[in-house]
Amino acid sequence: MAQIALDIGGTFTDFVLRLPERGTSLFWKVPTSPGDPTVAVLDGLDALLRHAGVAPAAVTTVLHATTVATNAIIERKGAPTALITTEGFRDVIIMGRQKRYDTFDLYLKKPTPLVRRRDVFEVKERVRFDGQVLVPLAPLSLDAAVAAVIAGGYRSIAVALIHSYANPAHEERIAAALHARDPELAISLSSQVSPKMREYERFSTTVANAYVMPVVGRYVRDLQAGLKGRGITSDLFIMQSNAGLVPPELAGELPIRIVESGPAAGVMMCAVVGRREGSEHVITFDMGGTTAKLGAIDDGEPAVMPSFEVATVNFRPGSGLPLNVPSVELLEIGAGGGSLAGTDMGLVTVGPESAGADPGPICYGRGGARPTVTDANLVLGYLDPDYFNGGAMRLDTAAATAGIQRQIAEPLGLSAAAGAWGIHAVANSNMERAMRVVSVERGRDPRRYAMVAFGGAGPLHAARLARALGIPRVIVPVGAGVGSAVGLLAADSRIDVAMTRVLRVTADASAAIARLYTELEARAQAQLARLGSVAGVRWSRAAYMRFVGQGYERRVDLPAGDMGGDYAARVVAAFQETYRRNYGYVDREASIEGIDWTLAATVPSPAGSGGASSWAGPVAGQARLGERPAFFPEAGGFVPTPIIDRYRVASGDVILGPAIVEERECTTVILPGDSATVSAAGNLIIAIGSGD
Amino acid sequence: MPDTLLRSDAGIDPIALSVIWNGFISIAEEMGTTLRQTAYSDAVREGDDFSTGLFDRRGRMLSQGNFTPGHLGSMPFVVRSCMEYYPAARMQPGDSIAVNDSFLGSGHYPDIFIVTPVWVAGKIIGYAANIAHHADVGGAVPGSQAVVGVTEAFQEGLRILPVKLVRAGEFDPDLLRLVLGNVRLPERVKGDLRAQLNATFVGARRLERMYRDYGAPTMEGAIDAILDRSEARIRAQIAKIPDGVYRYDDHMDDYGPGTEPVLVNVDVIVAGSDITVDFSRSSDQVAAGMNCYINFTRAYVYFSVKVFADALLPQNDGVIRPIHVVGREGSFFNAAYPAASGGRAAVQIRIFEAINGALAAVLPERAMGAFSHWANVQMGGIDDATGEGFILYDVVFAGYGGHATKDGTEAMSPILNCPNIPVEVHEAHNPVLIRRQELIPDSAGPGRYRGGCGMRKDIELCTDSAVLNLLGDRHRFAPYGIFGGQPGTRAETILNPDGEATALSSKERRVIRRGDVVSLRLAGAGGYGDVGERTQAAVLEDVAEGYVTPAGARRDYGAALNPTASRRD
Repeated sequence: MAQIALDIGGTFTDFVLRLPERGTSLFWKVPTSPGDPTVAVLDGLDALLRHAGVAPAAVTTVLHATTVATNAIIERKGAPTALITTEGFRDVIIMGRQKRYDTFDLYLKKPTPLVRRRDVFEVKERVRFDGQVLVPLAPLSLDAAVAAVIAGGYRSIAVALIHSYANPAHEERIAAALHARDPELAISLSSQVSPKMREYERFSTTVANAYVMPVVGRYVRDLQAGLKGRGITSDLFIMQSNAGLVPPELAGELPIRIVESGPAAGVMMCAVVGRREGSEHVITFDMGGTTAKLGAIDDGEPAVMPSFEVATVNFRPGSGLPLNVPSVELLEIGAGGGSLAGTDMGLVTVGPESAGADPGPICYGRGGARPTVTDANLVLGYLDPDYFNGGAMRLDTAAATAGIQRQIAEPLGLSAAAGAWGIHAVANSNMERAMRVVSVERGRDPRRYAMVAFGGAGPLHAARLARALGIPRVIVPVGAGVGSAVGLLAADSRIDVAMTRVLRVTADASAAIARLYTELEARAQAQLARLGSVAGVRWSRAAYMRFVGQGYERRVDLPAGDMGGDYAARVVAAFQETYRRNYGYVDREASIEGIDWTLAATVPSPAGSGGASSWAGPVAGQARLGERPAFFPEAGGFVPTPIIDRYRVASGDVILGPAIVEERECTTVILPGDSATVSAAGNLIIAIGSGD
Repeated sequence: MPDTLLRSDAGIDPIALSVIWNGFISIAEEMGTTLRQTAYSDAVREGDDFSTGLFDRRGRMLSQGNFTPGHLGSMPFVVRSCMEYYPAARMQPGDSIAVNDSFLGSGHYPDIFIVTPVWVAGKIIGYAANIAHHADVGGAVPGSQAVVGVTEAFQEGLRILPVKLVRAGEFDPDLLRLVLGNVRLPERVKGDLRAQLNATFVGARRLERMYRDYGAPTMEGAIDAILDRSEARIRAQIAKIPDGVYRYDDHMDDYGPGTEPVLVNVDVIVAGSDITVDFSRSSDQVAAGMNCYINFTRAYVYFSVKVFADALLPQNDGVIRPIHVVGREGSFFNAAYPAASGGRAAVQIRIFEAINGALAAVLPERAMGAFSHWANVQMGGIDDATGEGFILYDVVFAGYGGHATKDGTEAMSPILNCPNIPVEVHEAHNPVLIRRQELIPDSAGPGRYRGGCGMRKDIELCTDSAVLNLLGDRHRFAPYGIFGGQPGTRAETILNPDGEATALSSKERRVIRRGDVVSLRLAGAGGYGDVGERTQAAVLEDVAEGYVTPAGARRDYGAALNPTASRRD
């Protein structure tokens, strides 16, 4: 019996092979194959199974996270897609929401839509906001639109009509007409992909779904065929943006839901690690080569948002394409190891531009000429020039120092070390801004949260960031370098359904709420029926609610169980409590309305609980590799700092800061005054002091 | 941390300075998030019609959020006025001041400012401020932005000179009753005021924390450095513009049906690292609700100069020091109280366009053709389906002018920076039906780089009656092209285009009835460069996309489509 989790990232494809009977897990990493990612997946799989001595037939589950949908959108390599919409609203997609994402930049470019204007076709029809049909769908205009789409050779069609979230009948008739003409057409209806109010966001989501549908479908078929060809006939599950797994058929119908597949798996890993270490509330911190991603776990569950943006410009809100897809809450900013540093007006600047992997930082010696965060971390002594990526690459400290000296330190009148510290500190300050958004601005008190840090650069910056925000505890998990793949093994299957229905929540609204949830449950059941096993399904309800007159809704978890009698009163109480927690006051007299209603069904992990892989504690006392000078301003500058081998620490070991813990894929910095303990599971638990 | 370790030659730790500056910007942004998330009105929440700012104890602006430029520019003057009315000795922790006066504030009454002092150890160390456009502050028409029939400020609603509306963290109930008794949608106004207060409290808490962390000497040193360096940077940019006096003259349609055009005449004087923008040659102030008080003019002059000098500079007090704004007292751009000004939002684009026209000669790579302008529409009355009052507030945006390297952007917020309000939201909240909202083919000003297209939006009233208030422009004077680019088509507003069509003027106020359709057709934006230089490929692409019809292509680009003409693609 064996379970495989695999995560295709931009640079590497990560594998975890879990062998419950042997009580171990193997981590594996191969370069992602550009063009056709299935090549690296299948080759890597062969090598991994051979290495482990496991027969393909013994594989019971394959869990998968992929960037295939994201890349199709970012690189604009999806299928030629047409949009059919209501007469008079051809330009919804071109208009967008019309706000400049930078007020002072009058020359900026709006995001290029996934359909051109000539790909948009209109039908005569109109529905009101309450679902009432004002203008019935005109047969002639329908025939004309279908004929135009067929003649245009489009293979994927998005259908998005005004107010269709309130009445899908016209969209469904258009789908039937298209299907009758060509059963092979891929069809996406806005009333199914995203049945929510606000036309631009709904249209955008539906068009994006249509745009990636053929690409994702082909990819999934190739992968399944490849697995079968190797004798792996087990179930395949794919990670969705909501951190839940679905079978490939469902992913193929609503492919837009797998856009944040990999990052969602990373957040899931943090939830699992947090739970295991007794932290139900976690800020997740994943810092890699070009970006940092921040997320949150509340009460042991990944925070899920109703929408997000894809393909942004420098991660500026409003610069990308909005997608109404339930997605793990992630804030991404241009702060990674490769982020470029410079000076401006006597200040240090970092990012959002990145040196990427090629040419990369100066210290890689591949032609990079501008200093990066990684160069600074090397000069500060945090990174070992001889043990970067497990020693696979040597770093040039002298070149990094010279670059920082010339480009940062001299213009500011600083020493090279202070210049490097400036880069490190400003990178942290940028991340602190983002982390503040995720925590304080969204009602999370950092003092109640732990931070789980992963990714190549996360554990290096984590402690300082936690200190700035007042987060008392940092956890650096085992296998931080393949975090997302680890997360797959812990994920449950999950189906999210939602609808927009504006409903005043008065004392007598219980029946109306119950009716609405009956409808949602029927829709969820239809999808659940295709999951295979649904033993142990858990239901959770949430609504997006506001005071009547407000424009912005807040997510409120609704009580589970029976919806009779006083249910509406309990819903009101849940809203008031959520509001009070976020804003410190609540007007108990004001009327309340619900706008979007959601239902999530989760089925326990396809991989089974299985327990974490064992942590074979090695011989204690062998872990200290030596020491080197590292820069800690609170200690007065460079101080001799112990270097600890992550692979040789034992459960229960305590490491006092300052110290540096090295492993192949990442380096953990422990600050003076802090201390780290190795947990029973092998995770590093850093207790963060105030720094005073 | 030992100071000596990181101190630069200049005596200020550049790293602490970087982090403090970052912090100021982040605080302004966090105030904006709070305001948006707790606001009640569509204008504030969907329309982002608000701004936030952070100030030091001397009232110098430290940072602002990425919001509406008109608000941004007037805020420094508002905070200083509040300080004059309420010196520190008259304030207690938790007190906040409100003001909406047109002269002291941002130029019309719906914009209410909340200014909250920030206290550390019993002393004011700074101010957190914000401004939000309220749904209504009373006066002649719903929405308080009438142009026509309003001749003095007393008809425009409730005027709030700086007043301590909040004591010890709570609204003064007596004053609040006075305010809410004068507005049409009291619940909404109250909710938005509450949201504004939340936001300043959030900002105050964070600024206070920074002072405690760094100490007053470091903070004050950093503030001086930030402002001085910002000033030095913008001065260096202005100095690159050749010295001289640059002029541009344009017109606004009128200030109501049957009135004269308004002259928009500017002299831009560049002398070394200083720039003076003088609107004195423009018309006198008018007897309609459209005049610009000096703070409003200043706001858009600052914005425009920054666009031309260095758009990426952060927004603070240092950046505005070398920019001087002049307007003859009593003129349209420096109106004297009690000039009416509710609809001055129609003018903001024109302040930029005048400066753009003047500086085009010396900064051709930054200049652009004129915008489509915009339409700011309100309909207010009773929804007979619910018996409740409503005010539809809409913003309609279309094209940007052609630019030195590209066609004008389609359908984006011009100068002011707000998202549109979704059709589905309008219809769910107001008794209206939006019949269409689409680009107008053949409307863009032709040129080597054409302007963006105009926009048509048809709104039908679905209740017995409502008061319609129109605020638009470019019905008579088309958006200009530059460097040989052609103007776009003129705007029109048609009542009942499919029935007894009636042409309305760009600024109008009238009662409309159930079934009436107001069809707004925004102008096309101006082109850039000679039509003959447009590539044939670009023209064909426009035809394929439907921005230009085949007939329009022949008319406007005939030479370029002629196969015997020189091939440029």
